[in-house]
Order: sequence, then structure tokens, then C-alpha cells
Amino acid sequence: MASIEIENLTKRYGATTALDNVSLKIESGEFLVLLGPSGCGKTTLLRCLAGLETPDEGEIYMDGELVFSSKLNRIVPPGKRNLGMVFQSYALWPHMTVRNNVKFGLDVLNLSESDSKDRLDQVLKDLGMGDLQNRYPSELSGGQQQRVALARLLATKPPVFLMDEPLSNLDARLRMDMRVELKKFQASTGSTTVYVTHDQTEAMTMSTRVVVMRDGLIQQVSPPSQLYKRPENTFVADFIGMPRINLIKANRSNGKNRLYSNGDIDIDIGWDEAPSSIVVGARPEDLKISKEKLKGSQAYEVSSVLPNGPETIIQLTRGGTILLARIGHEVDLHEGEKVTVQFDQKALNVYDAKSGALLGPPIDTNGTN
Amino acid sequence: MDLAIQRDSPLMRLVLDPVNILLMILLGILFYLVLWPFLELVLHTITWGEGDRRLSRDAVPGEYTWFHWLQVTASPLSERMLYAPLVNTLITGVISTVIALIVGGGLAWCVIRSDMPGKGWLQPVLTLPYIVPSFAIALAWETVFRSPKVGGQPGLYETVLGIPPPEWVSYGTFPISITLAMHYFPFAYLLVAGALATIDSQMEEGALLSGASRMMILRRITFPVVAPAFAAAFVLTFGKTIGQFALPFLLGAPTQFHTIATMVYANLALGLDSMAYVLAILLILMSLLAIWASNKFVGNNARRFETISGKGFRSRQVALGGWRWPIFWSVATFGFVVGILPLILLGYQSLMLIDGFFNLSNLTMHFWTGQSDPEIAMGEPGVLHNANILGAAWNTIELAFFSAVIASLIGLVIAYIVVRKEGNPLAKMLDQIAFIPFLFPSIAFGAMYLTMFAEPRGPIPALYGTFTLLILISVVNRLPYSVKTGVTAVTQIGRELEEAAEVAGASWGRRFRKIIVPLASSGVVTGMMVSFVGVMRELSLIILLITPSTRVLMTVGFNYAEEGLTQLSNALVLIVAMITIAGELILWWAGKSRLVRLREKQS
Repeated sequence: MASIEIENLTKRYGATTALDNVSLKIESGEFLVLLGPSGCGKTTLLRCLAGLETPDEGEIYMDGELVFSSKLNRIVPPGKRNLGMVFQSYALWPHMTVRNNVKFGLDVLNLSESDSKDRLDQVLKDLGMGDLQNRYPSELSGGQQQRVALARLLATKPPVFLMDEPLSNLDARLRMDMRVELKKFQASTGSTTVYVTHDQTEAMTMSTRVVVMRDGLIQQVSPPSQLYKRPENTFVADFIGMPRINLIKANRSNGKNRLYSNGDIDIDIGWDEAPSSIVVGARPEDLKISKEKLKGSQAYEVSSVLPNGPETIIQLTRGGTILLARIGHEVDLHEGEKVTVQFDQKALNVYDAKSGALLGPPIDTNGTN
Repeated sequence: MDLAIQRDSPLMRLVLDPVNILLMILLGILFYLVLWPFLELVLHTITWGEGDRRLSRDAVPGEYTWFHWLQVTASPLSERMLYAPLVNTLITGVISTVIALIVGGGLAWCVIRSDMPGKGWLQPVLTLPYIVPSFAIALAWETVFRSPKVGGQPGLYETVLGIPPPEWVSYGTFPISITLAMHYFPFAYLLVAGALATIDSQMEEGALLSGASRMMILRRITFPVVAPAFAAAFVLTFGKTIGQFALPFLLGAPTQFHTIATMVYANLALGLDSMAYVLAILLILMSLLAIWASNKFVGNNARRFETISGKGFRSRQVALGGWRWPIFWSVATFGFVVGILPLILLGYQSLMLIDGFFNLSNLTMHFWTGQSDPEIAMGEPGVLHNANILGAAWNTIELAFFSAVIASLIGLVIAYIVVRKEGNPLAKMLDQIAFIPFLFPSIAFGAMYLTMFAEPRGPIPALYGTFTLLILISVVNRLPYSVKTGVTAVTQIGRELEEAAEVAGASWGRRFRKIIVPLASSGVVTGMMVSFVGVMRELSLIILLITPSTRVLMTVGFNYAEEGLTQLSNALVLIVAMITIAGELILWWAGKSRLVRLREKQS
């Protein structure tokens, strides 16, 4: 098992900077997900770890050993870094059988014939591929191909797993099953895993920590629950969560410290000393809708009702402002209806309007949900 | 911190990358084998040589001079040496190319876009004339239209009609243009068919819905879309015709009708090396001019030579209606006349004891199986007993095999570098240098290697007269094609397949052997077969470099034809034609079975 340390890593492609002075410490045995929109640098970071890309600046340590350093001109080639990788396309060699695909890595290691055979049989059996070992990749289903890629990863017992969107080629249902399987797989091997995805559900369900990236910069590193509840800037707040968070730009109302308004709606953020211009982040489920007129609440019009299985998304308008609310599946609301809305003050996140950074006193991070 | 780390500078790493090492080595080799011979050729023409003493008193071997250029371009000799052949080259080139394009384009439309019956077997028949050696068609022409005015026996025409054919039918512009067109129309056909196959019929359907007539669609939609392919086909075909040597030589030389290519050969035969090289340079310039013009006017279409692959999308076919069968019969007759009849004529003539005497009693197997008889053909035994020919046959197979294998492997390595190091200026340069041999008319290319390897240079011995030189020039000549095949093959291999092996710790050599080669193999083997057949029927390229010990079937056949031993020559050319056809059939069958396998997988 191995920890990974990344220090001040920079990678440029011509004029664009794919990684901008990135530093990150990955604990041994961790399941770390790199998450972000396409072009954010997550795949570049993974490929730098693998040694498939050479960064321009910085250092990488694996298990305490320096594997890359721009200052010392040290580049340990991919094959010597003691890691395994699953590619987005799986990269199974189409001209080799399942067994030979898995065996390739062992051949490179020059293991004795019997050692190699034992390990091969064990790995194939563990992944349930024993019966399929003489097939060619093109004769396997997507899920089976995925499993061969994992078997190939496991055969050489690397302490570090790198995975580049390994589930993106599977259909939705299979992806769900494989998420569970991969999580178990990682837990049982205990290998440090770095996993790249643009799918936030994948990131949230599987990881121990999530790294959100944008334009080559790390935006936030947090366990998944914290990431959802307390995004550290407006980008993360907006990127995480489906449907999207309500981000309301508001200015302090005259003379009232806690009360902010954007002209249409008023929000009491519940604490003092925030700057005069802020962005309030409210998750759709933090809006309480009521048909009765409550004290301190404002009236909205229901402009759309979108049922979606166990939940229902309600679109609300007041003046030019549109908000989304998430409520349970039993709904008694209709388009055009007038309702009142209350914000769950404890769950609100307040951001600086200029920098987009999270502000204010910690808001009950040990909350119940 | 160990010292090993310190010494590991980025420069060293770049230099020690095996792919970069290969890139540098290949650049060096190609520079030496492609660019340097051209410089050598140019230098040779502006330097006095030893042999020039007998041409001019001012000759000082080793000194620079414009003598040869002036002799060729502005002397009493120029008219005969340069201008008349130049006019002949241009006229035969343009006429044959225009005919080839009209015929090839028309056939392509019939096969690809109409509902003409019998396409399946017409297509291979129509490509036959391009598969067989070009001078097989010249020999067949001679068999029919030989004129006794230049000596020898009468041809079939005279025997049947009783009067000799007019001389302009036997020799000169007319027969050369026609036979060149016969040889090259399949080339134009393949290029235009490739373009036609990529036309989405929705474009035409759109016009149909707006009420356009069929002629209008053809004129306003179809033709403009394939026009670039037509222009490219024109330039490529023209470029090939001007480099043709054997065919204009056989049908022109008897009446002193010369093209630039045959003049190169004639000058060399007279020992006027430098004059020949000046002409070779002019030939190269003509070819460059043609390619330049094509790039200028039709974009970079010229690079898409040989393999234009049509996508398998729906292509609506035009119903010919009442014309269906008449068109079929015309095409079939045409295919028979240009594809099969010449071979039958060659075969028939090779069975005649006395050439030109068309009578059953005159038939003999002597030229195939007979023993040496001093009464017949200067005592040359039949081709199947002739040690001379068996040696040449063995040489031919060896040459074609080694050239094809080496060209394909080097082509694959170059293709790998070009694809994987995309954006690297040196890799781009490698790609471009590997393409340059395509621009050299083959006889001029042969002349380049003649100057280059006639004498030892530094560590490289005089390769003239060795088999190695023949392999060398054949390999370099095939490179543009094999690189192209290789690029197609390597592009299809995902980068991740290789990275997966890299992560597993496999060295570059291992990755190339275990991943790239097996995955590229099917495409590369096909390319190898194409090269094998191509080298086998090559004559113009190697005719200047052949010595008695390195003779191949084509050059022996050519020599027999020169000496008037027509039956032996015909028998030999027929053998080469049969081998190339067999090779082509294997390719066709392999391509078909691959299609079948693909279909099985999809269903």
C-alpha cells in the first residue's frame, strides 16, 4: 500500500495550462476521485501520475519514493512506478485472449512459469472469468470486458490503481452494478485508488474523498457529504447536485444586517458581518413550500411541476427570479398556484459575490442530513 | 541523491528515447537514399566527366560546366534530343490521359452509380490491363499492327486484310497514346470510382425533389463533386505516363519516335550519361510541376492516391432502363478487348514457330518447352528449360519478396513515428521525404541511383551490378505506398492499447512487437502483396541498373523484344502477367473473406 504526494505540479500544452501548480496528498488505501467538467485537467493529472505525461514543473512521490521531479530531472518510467491502470476504453488487446491479456503484465515481470500460472488462475477465478479465459475481447459483453481490465490490473498486485472513467462506456443499469462491485473490489485489495470521472454520482457514491478541479486548479478536496453540504465556492456549489443549487445574488437591505435582497426576494441569512454583496446558495431541498401564508415568508407562483419518481421538482417564480425546490413524491401543487417559501437558514451557504468564496461562520457541519 | 539522477538531463532522455533514435536513423537513411541521389544527379550534369573528353576539347574532368545543359537545350542536337521528344511526351501523355479519364470515369459511373448488370465480374476484368505489365499491351499491339516496313514479319492485321497497316497505326503517337490509355484507364477508374462511392445520394435526391432532370443533376451536382478527384486523377495519370519507358520504346523506337523517357535510355546506351541525366532532371521537373499544379488547383487531393476508401453508406443507383443491356454488352466487349484479348494474342504468338505466319501447322510448343535448337531463335531454348530464364525467375521472386517485406516493415515503422509523434517537425519531415519517390518518374529514379552507386563512396561500395541495389531502389520506390498503408493501420490502433502495455512495464521494442505489429498485420500484409505484385512487373525503374547477373523476368523479356525474339518475349511477359494476376486474385479473395468475417461479426 502506498501514499502519493503531489507537489506544485504544472503541465502546459502550448499556451494552455492543463495543471496549474497542483498540490495534493493522497493517503494510503484511499479511494480518491478526481471530478470536474471536461478539460479541467483531471485526466492530465492521472496521466502524470501514471508517467504517460511528463509535467513541466513539480514533484511526485509514491510510497515515499520520488518518481518525478522537474528540478532533479528525474522521471521514473510508467512500468517502474508499480501501478496498474484501467483505461476509459479498457484498452484490451484485441488480438490476445482474455488469459493472455491478463498474462502480459506477468510476462513483463519475468515470473517463473508456475508462479505466473497460479496467480493467473487465481485472478481469473476471483473475477469470475475462469470460463471465459480463452475468449477474445470482441466476444465479451461490456461488463465482462470491464472485468478483464480489472483482472489485468490485479494480476501484478500493484499498490496503486489508476482508473480513467472506467464506467463511462457501460449502460446506465450496468454502471450502477459495477459501482458497487468496484467499491468492494477496492476495499478488498486495499490499494490506493485514484479515479477520474465527470459523473458526480459516481464520485459521491464511491469515494472516500473527492477532488473537484476546474481549469487546471483544485477547487475543493473533501469527503463526499461535506462536498455536497458545504461547497467552498460557487463553482463547486453549482457543479455538485442535481438539480442545480439555487444561487441567488443579493445585496444587503438598508440598515438590516442579516437581511439581503435581489429586488424580488428577501433572504435572512441568519448571521452578521457578511459583506454588502453576496451570493446565497440554497439546495432545492432546503426550500420549504407551504400553501398557507407563514410569518416572514414571501409568496411565489408555481410555474412548473416536474415529477421524477420518488421526488418532485417544483419551479417557482417571483418577479424575475426563478428557484427550484425538491419535495417528496406526494404533491398537491399545480401550475399557476400561489405558495409561500421558507429557506432552511441552517443549510444556507453564503459566498462573496466578487470572489465566489465561501463566507461566514461555520453552519452546523455536524447536521443531521 | 544519487549521481545517476543528476546525469539524467532532459536532453539525454530525448536522445535516448528509442523512437527518437529510430526517427533520426530513418531521416538519415532516407536523406541518403532519396534526396542525396537527386543532388548527385544534378551535380553530375554540371560537372565534366571522364567520357566528355571525346565530346569536347574543353573538357576538364571534375570542373563545373554548363556544357551538358547547353548541349541538350540549345545546340544543333537539341531539336532531336529534347524538343521533339518533349513534344512527343506531352502529346502522348495528354491524349492518353484524356482517353483514360473519359473511359475510366464513364466506367466508374456505370459500375458505381448505375444498375448495369454483371458488375461483380466486370470490375476485376476492367482492372486487368493495369495489373499486367505495361509492355504486354505494347507487345500485343505489335502482334496485330506490326508493319513490315521496319523489317520483320507481318502482323495479324496484314495477314488477315492482305495490306499492311498505315505506319501511323503501327508506330508513333497514335499507338503509344492508345496503349498508354489502355494501361492507365483502370488507374483513373479506381480514383474516380472512389470519389463517386463517397457521394451521398441524398445530395442528388435533394436536387431530384426540387424537380431537376437527370442530366441536370449529373451536370450540376455529381460532376462538380467528383471534379477534384478528376483533376487529381488527371495529374496522377499524366505523371505516370511520362515516366513510362518500355511501352513508348517498343512502339516508337523502330521509327525513331522518342519520348523523354526513351531518350534517357537511348543516351545512356550511347554513353552520353550526362545528357541522359539532364533529360531525367527535366522529367522530374515535369512531374513536380504537374503535382504542384494539382495541389494548387485542387487542394491536397493528390495525396489521397491509391487508397480512396468509400464508406459503406446507402447510394441510390440510377436505373438505365432500356439502355441496361446495350451498355452491359459494350462494357463487357470493351473489357474483353483491353483486358483479355491482348493476353490471348500474346499466348497465341508465343506458340508460332515462324513469327507472323498465322497457320495451324505453324504452331509449336518450342518456345515454352523446347530444347536449344540453333535453327530457331539463335539457339535459345524454350522458357521453361532456359537456365537463363529460370535464374531470372528466381531473381524476380527474390527481388519482389525482399522488397515487399522490407518496404512494408520500414513503412510501418515510419507510419508509427508519423502517427505517434504527430506535431513533431522532424516526424513530419520524415513523412514528406518518404513521399518524395512518388514524384520521381521511374526511369529518372533509376538514373539517379545509377549516378549515385556507380562508384564507391566513403564506406559504401559501388553497388552497381549488385542485387542489393535493385532491392534498395524497389524498396524506396514502394515507400510512399507502404507508409500510406502503415498510417492507415496504425491510426486504427488506439493509443491506450499501447499505454496499457507501457504501464505494465513493457519496453518500446516489446510493445511494437507484441501490440503494434500483430494489430497492424492484416493491413500491412495486404500492402505487402500489393508491393510484391508491383515490384514484379516493374521495368522502367530498374532497366538502367540491371546487369546480366541480376536480370529479372521483365528485363529478360524486354531484351528478347529488343532482339526481335518476340515469341520468347511474349512467353515471358505472359508468365509475369499470370503471376501478377494470381497475386491480385489472392488479394481480392483475402479482401472478400475479410468482408465476410466482418459481416459475420456484425450479425
